[in-house]
Amino acid sequence: MRTKIPLLVCLVFGIMMFGQYFSAHPIAKAVYNNILEWWQIIFAFTLLVGVASFARNSLRNISQRKEPIHRSIALAGLLVMPVLALIGGTKTGSPFLWSFQNMLAPMQSTVFSLLAFFVASASYRGFRARTIPATILLVTALIVLIGRIPLAELISQSFPKITFWVQDYPSMAARRAILIGIGLGSMTTALRVILGIERTYLRGE
Amino acid sequence: MVPVVLLVLVLRESVCAAQIEGQSPGWFNTDTTATLVFSFISLVIVLYAILSVRSGRRFKIREIPGLKAVDEAIGRATEMGAPILYTPGWGGDIQRPTTIASMNILSSVAERTAEYDCRLIYPTHDPVIMAVAQEVVKEGYAKAGYPDRFKPDDIFYISSSQFGYAAAVDGIISRIKPASIFLLGTFEAESLIMAETGNSIGSIQIAGTDSTIQLAFFIVACDYTLIGEELFAASGYLSQNESTLASVKAQDMIKILIALFIIAAMIWATIRPLSTWWKF
Amino acid sequence: MERLRTRWIIFLGLAAVVVISYTMNLPFKTSASPATEKAYKYIETLPESSVVIISFDHEASSLPEIQPIALAMLRHVFRKNLRVIGLSLFAEGTAIGYEMLNRTAGECNRNYGRDYVFLGFKPQYISAILGLGESIRRVFPEDYPGNKTDTLAIMRNIDTYDSVRMVISIADGDRTMQWIEYAGARYNQKVMAGLTAAMITSYDPYLSSGQLFAVVGGLRGAAEYELLYGRRAAGNRGMLAQSGAHAYVIALIIIGNIIFFRSRRRKREG
Repeated sequence: MRTKIPLLVCLVFGIMMFGQYFSAHPIAKAVYNNILEWWQIIFAFTLLVGVASFARNSLRNISQRKEPIHRSIALAGLLVMPVLALIGGTKTGSPFLWSFQNMLAPMQSTVFSLLAFFVASASYRGFRARTIPATILLVTALIVLIGRIPLAELISQSFPKITFWVQDYPSMAARRAILIGIGLGSMTTALRVILGIERTYLRGE
Repeated sequence: MVPVVLLVLVLRESVCAAQIEGQSPGWFNTDTTATLVFSFISLVIVLYAILSVRSGRRFKIREIPGLKAVDEAIGRATEMGAPILYTPGWGGDIQRPTTIASMNILSSVAERTAEYDCRLIYPTHDPVIMAVAQEVVKEGYAKAGYPDRFKPDDIFYISSSQFGYAAAVDGIISRIKPASIFLLGTFEAESLIMAETGNSIGSIQIAGTDSTIQLAFFIVACDYTLIGEELFAASGYLSQNESTLASVKAQDMIKILIALFIIAAMIWATIRPLSTWWKF
Repeated sequence: MERLRTRWIIFLGLAAVVVISYTMNLPFKTSASPATEKAYKYIETLPESSVVIISFDHEASSLPEIQPIALAMLRHVFRKNLRVIGLSLFAEGTAIGYEMLNRTAGECNRNYGRDYVFLGFKPQYISAILGLGESIRRVFPEDYPGNKTDTLAIMRNIDTYDSVRMVISIADGDRTMQWIEYAGARYNQKVMAGLTAAMITSYDPYLSSGQLFAVVGGLRGAAEYELLYGRRAAGNRGMLAQSGAHAYVIALIIIGNIIFFRSRRRKREG
């Protein structure tokens, strides 16, 4: 029973959502709008699960003296931000927005900027002419790298065009093929979920 | 009973809403005919493959190096006495097929780590994924015969923020130094940050994602990469479940049909450039 | 140890190149790419009072790259006297989007409620995108400051994608894909994007098939758009640093290969 009901719900609503896509009838549209609203409500409750889990884990780690300072700061962030939002609102000039713009945004940008450094080290390590395919990859990468900066136009007016050609034709062909494969994989996985063949999301069966 | 109640509630509200709107009916939207035809053909092929398997036919999938290396990765972690880190990435939620495919692989990895008594750490950005992963790993440990080795605290929610999650996972990798890292799921810009950090500590890394951009990063930074639908085939490959193998074969059949259609359309468009039958 | 030292040298070198580049003030002349030109020309040719939806689908982390694109496009849209419906499908993009919208609207003396509105954030982006095709008011009964959507002058006679000329998704991830796959495929809504450079190539297939109308990508895209718009700003300022970083990576690749070939030759000789 514990698995049969969710499977039945999944089958019924899966078929309904699939069917409504092909229908222009007002009842089909209304069903669809209804389910979208329920989806929003369910999502809001899942956020509560996350908050509770984070708070519980942090408190447990603090009580066990595992990185207590870091955990306390993280927990304080979780508690302080909603309090600031409730007291001062979230509009321009509020303490919440100040914290967001001056603490959260710079921290996130900093971590994002690590990507530039890691791209440099990955490029240094990864683009070696070990084999013929690797050499082709290396030459292509150099063409695209140079073509994306204004320096390319100083070398030749045609350089950016070569770069766009590489991006628009060979690279695009490979990406489209992978995308078709991924699309088909997604479709069959979704079909297996709807038909109840795939039950991992239930309880690992 | 429950699905019937839900269905009645949804339909009742919807019928009332439709009557208020007072529009004239049209059950079938003819603009979606091509999609319906293709969906129907795909469904028939998938069902045919599944029914073939049930009547005794056997399907095989070619070797996928990334999946073959799963045992090697777990063995390495066990020998080194170091944990395994498994991350589903930041980009997806539980409804995404890539996340479901990742859960399938997690199930197999959990069984094996239970057998070898190797610690499995699973940080996630989504509370629903966390709840499902806890059940999946618990079930895997129970199936392997070691339910007492399951530690729910090792599967935890960090943050829904992309770089908050990436920073936390990087910190875990740097401090705990896992011997093996699985990066399987939907990734966005955080992929290279995690992969390079794993590379810097010398972990063996197995990655797979549905993003073509992040695939390029993984190929450079990881030891094994599952490209495209290899991630979806993993479920069948690792479990050797017949129905799943059948659906993977069905994917191949549909792909052949698509390829034939593309070739036909290409030839026709070359001969008759103004034709449009193949456009929809 | 050797690997760690090499890594540190690479990181410090890149940091030095970028910091030094930002201390210099060299204007960069660059020609606009076809995709950026297409985006600019489309907005340029829209009739006055046309409605566009601008969706701030990005996080705070990509602000340094995304903000120049967003500001350039917003200034253009307001200069053309178009009406803007702003919203966000990312929680973090909400406050950022609201601030950018107000800032650029203020520069062009536009009135909130009549010339532009910010509807706020909606979770579950797929259902939000699909819901907007049925009724914008139903998805957003109130705007971000709390006014009833029905009472706003701009929302008169506008309730679905039928009244919207273009959706511009300013994104650093795959939200634009959801706009294309749901608003574009289901409701034939034209979609344009402002994206980070890392995401541009993901959208090339959609661009070439026409599902994505145009894209303004990365800091270079922002610089190109500023050039077309006629006002140099953050996009242009960042081009020297970006070019320097690219040149640095190219040099690293060449040096890496030289070292590789030399060590391979030494092994063969040894």
